[in-house]
Amino acid sequence: MPDARDRAGRAASSLMPAPHIGVRTSAARMTWLVSLCLLPAAGWGVFLFGTPALIVLAFSIGTAVLAELASTLPFGRFTLRDGSALLTGCIVGLLMPADAPAYVPAAASAFAILVVKQSFGGLGRNWMNPAMGGVVFAFLSWSGPMSQWIAPRGGTVQGAVVPPLEALRAALAAPGARGTTPLAVLSNAGFRFSDLDSRVLGWINSHVLAPLGTALPPGAFDVLVGHVAGGIGTVSAPLLLLGAWFLLSRGIIRWHLPVFYVGTFGLLAAIFGGLGTGQGWLAGGPGFHLLSGSLVLGAFFAAPDPVTSPLTNRGRCMIGIVLGVLTFFLRFFGSLGDGVAASIVLGNCAAPLVDRWTFRRRTGHQEGIA
Amino acid sequence: MTSGKALWNSILSENPRALLFLGLCPAIAVSVRVIDALWMSAGVILVLVLSGLAMALLSGESAGAEAVFAPGGAESATARGSLAAGWMRALLITSFLTASFEAGLLALAPTASAALGIYAPLIAVNCLVRGRGMSGFPHSSPGGSMAAALGRGIGFAGSLVLIALVREALGAGTITLFPVGGFGGTIGIPILVEQPVRALGFAGGGLLCLGYLAGAARLISPHAAASSASGRAAE
Amino acid sequence: MSWVAIILTFALVDNVILSRLLGVDAAACAPGGMRAAAGVGGFIAVLMAVSAVGGWAVDSQVLMPLGFTLLRTPVFVFFVAGLAFALRAICVRFLPSVLQATGVSIPEITVNTAALGLVLITTRGEYTALESLVAGLAAGAGYFFVTAMMMAISERLEVEPVPRALKGFPLQLITAGLIAYAFMAFDRAFLARVLGG
Repeated sequence: MPDARDRAGRAASSLMPAPHIGVRTSAARMTWLVSLCLLPAAGWGVFLFGTPALIVLAFSIGTAVLAELASTLPFGRFTLRDGSALLTGCIVGLLMPADAPAYVPAAASAFAILVVKQSFGGLGRNWMNPAMGGVVFAFLSWSGPMSQWIAPRGGTVQGAVVPPLEALRAALAAPGARGTTPLAVLSNAGFRFSDLDSRVLGWINSHVLAPLGTALPPGAFDVLVGHVAGGIGTVSAPLLLLGAWFLLSRGIIRWHLPVFYVGTFGLLAAIFGGLGTGQGWLAGGPGFHLLSGSLVLGAFFAAPDPVTSPLTNRGRCMIGIVLGVLTFFLRFFGSLGDGVAASIVLGNCAAPLVDRWTFRRRTGHQEGIA
Repeated sequence: MTSGKALWNSILSENPRALLFLGLCPAIAVSVRVIDALWMSAGVILVLVLSGLAMALLSGESAGAEAVFAPGGAESATARGSLAAGWMRALLITSFLTASFEAGLLALAPTASAALGIYAPLIAVNCLVRGRGMSGFPHSSPGGSMAAALGRGIGFAGSLVLIALVREALGAGTITLFPVGGFGGTIGIPILVEQPVRALGFAGGGLLCLGYLAGAARLISPHAAASSASGRAAE
Repeated sequence: MSWVAIILTFALVDNVILSRLLGVDAAACAPGGMRAAAGVGGFIAVLMAVSAVGGWAVDSQVLMPLGFTLLRTPVFVFFVAGLAFALRAICVRFLPSVLQATGVSIPEITVNTAALGLVLITTRGEYTALESLVAGLAAGAGYFFVTAMMMAISERLEVEPVPRALKGFPLQLITAGLIAYAFMAFDRAFLARVLGG
């Protein structure tokens, strides 16, 4: 991901803090590394959903690259080497459902690069995360085509294919929803998980958990591993977390924003999540919600983008909390999908304000900086 | 001179583009369909031309009309008094003209009136209208004033209809015009009408279109870029 | 509408700038600096609240009983303009720091668009006095918040080299457009669920 400190070098640097992280790794290399860390999740998505997923990714990345070329070559610059166009294209594609018509990821990428990024001067100067802006634009324009899901390989097909989150919504909206956890509600509503899920869980429950007196509910394996329908790169939390762990350990992203984001959301979901749908307090099913939708991808790969997140650690924590609250409200009460992309762009709007609050712009006096 | 003052002085210097784009702001809300944009433009042109006429007829020798719009410019009480008087006179003219337009629209084309909603009355305080209506015209003759006003109005109309064309064609896949004879008024564009880029039809789309149009206008005639409404950059 | 519904609607769901596109020019052209923007935003916010109530008074007590609803436009235009003038006089007298911060006297034109628009909305919707006040305050708060956001963002943009053609006003509009898209997450369905759930 592009380093915000890059922009300091070009601009009035007395206003911005100096680079501190990853001194060895240049900004471009960091961006390529982030793309690399998305590879496991992307591979899993292509494996699960097949050729359509590959086509979506091809269009999203291809359009991003073309848009970047179109907006820089005529002015004599070649910016593909910084890897940010590729990264934007990757994230956009990974957030798409596998069966989205080609124009949707293409338009999202084009909007992301041309409007959200290049109009503001290109790399490091945009205030809104390009990929998220593109996804929001696409969702506002084509919410139907963006809900065309494909059943995962080895999953059961029963009627319309929906990811667990959407199925949960539908189940809770219908009368007669029973169950104290999201997985229970889904089972009672007739949502069928894969055979692999029942076999694995059957084995675990009988051999490991039965002596302990507990059991994992059906669907736990599917949801945990990411063997469900959903966005191409968003289904597999473990693989995403693998990549995220690598980025965190190298210092390419800082832990403050993701941890506070995920933590706040998890807490709110756990305590209040069940309220809106009539299951009562402490019945929100935080585990399910943390693993569903694009939360993990958004929290670890998109939201901590140094260009669009606050400059101080205190600011990052604050924005993390803001994002958690927003995602909670938008997911449990809103209508824009899983609430993550919308929250992140709203957080981008608020980040400069948070910066004003936490970062004193005085020459020579910089408090609260990492 | 602070940047804000410079900005407003540049507007007063009758920079057409600055006034144009400032004046377009409230109107983009009705640029979702071409026909709404056409009606809005009709109203703006009407009010512009007639207020230009009225100002030319009324002001006569009053050079105060030029200074009428310098915010905070006059320090003395009398100067401020005449400022306020000129200001009020101009507002009076534009608001009554707008009210007449609204009444006429309500009588003749109630659907259009409903479509324009609260944005029709806002013509009265539209920057373009007030800027033109009040700052001194080079020509004090009624004909000259009307011609100048008409020119501004056509510029406004062209921009607004262009935005509406883009927003409706891409955002809804249709182009809505006046129903004439057997023609129902709506043209559907083959592929777009099924899966339009709906985001363009929302408020954000209007702001984006206006922003890019303003940028494009600057590209086309950059000589006015220095004094156009560019906020802090104006200083 | 319930109070919460009014507040959320005017502040978030149908935000004055981002959804109804009123007062965009003031927010986009506000003179430089956060304090200035806060001054302009705050001024307009207070003006909106006061105009909303005043508009209700004028409309329900004068215009409607007399049947002069066609005169709404001129009456409101002058009413709002007069209020703006009075508010500015109050600022000059009691809060000179506000005007000083804005660096220039409040641009009367654009002030009128936002407040006037709001008055028109509340009178056409036939809001009661208290509803108008709450709507005005909520709209003002929303306006202030969005102006602050846009100013913070444009402060950031100021130090960046941006495409020449887009610098300044066009980029402000594009920024506003992107913020508007972001705020679309708060839509009526959201409101209904927050209120009903």
